[in-house]
Amino acid sequence: MGRISRLAALAGLLPGVGLAAEGERIEVRGEIIDTWCYYSGVMGGPDAVVGTAHHTCALWCSAGGIPVGLLGEDGEVYMVLKIEGDDQSASGDTQLRLASHEVTADGMLYRRDGLNYLVVEEVVTDHGITNLSHDIYGPVPGFAIPEPAE
Amino acid sequence: MKRIAMTTAALCLCLPAAAQDFSEGSEAKSWNLAAEKPARFEATVVDMLCELTGDCAEDCGGGKRQLGLLRAADGVLVYPNKNSQPAFTGAALELAPYCGAEVEVDGLMIEDLELGATNIYLVQKIREVGESEWVTANSWTKKWAEANPNADGKGPWFRRDPRVNGMIEESGYLGLGLEADAAFIEEWF
Repeated sequence: MGRISRLAALAGLLPGVGLAAEGERIEVRGEIIDTWCYYSGVMGGPDAVVGTAHHTCALWCSAGGIPVGLLGEDGEVYMVLKIEGDDQSASGDTQLRLASHEVTADGMLYRRDGLNYLVVEEVVTDHGITNLSHDIYGPVPGFAIPEPAE
Repeated sequence: MKRIAMTTAALCLCLPAAAQDFSEGSEAKSWNLAAEKPARFEATVVDMLCELTGDCAEDCGGGKRQLGLLRAADGVLVYPNKNSQPAFTGAALELAPYCGAEVEVDGLMIEDLELGATNIYLVQKIREVGESEWVTANSWTKKWAEANPNADGKGPWFRRDPRVNGMIEESGYLGLGLEADAAFIEEWF
């Protein structure tokens, strides 16, 4: 490795250089959401893809391995990478059980390239599902709840 | 020390990450998303938790952990949220075979600053750098079927998934309990 490469690596400027980011201890309250539907708009606006309206879809996406996030009261999304020792952030059981729940979480926050990442050390309080968005939006997507047979 | 500072500054100036356009050569199919942009680039497949915190797993977690794409051109950590199937399916299982490998990917980048979405990616095709054949990132449902041989019945995987169905049987489609579900369904349909 040449001198410039070594210097760049020291500065963290070159790809392939593993740099664990500096973590920050935080306590944050918010809803466990399905990040793809929230970010992409594929199912509609951000208010329609949270809460009870989107609960079934949130289960599908979590089980399907789409990353879950914590949508904080501050409006920020915190991408969840681990919850109370469960590192199965793709389809894991712990995150599936918390789909759409409002939680207060204590953990470590890492910021990288414009996104927030959260390692939840403890779910301090599980407030349950509190956002009754189905009152406004109905099921999102519309086929989430099968129409009852006649 | 002065030389180090000058070299570092020069490298910073040469790598304007945010300004780079990765759409050149992309053959990604549109999903008609407002914030999508085609993006084809080379990257190293990394375990997100390992990359960010140093908490590493063998084989990047074998598809159980989320995986990232450390982009070769600028070192930006791209987060693949989605594979190419329109079926509520993520990207980790698609990328898991490439743990630690240098790959080329093609897909859609989501950049929506109002929502805080940046470096969010839908991966459609993957190949190791130097390979000629692309692999379509659509294996999730096949792997689910192999892992759930007893999930019989009609319909797509998400209607037959034992864990999802167990949650719905327990707390309903709205998550509020079966009584609330029944009342809503009666009113809605």
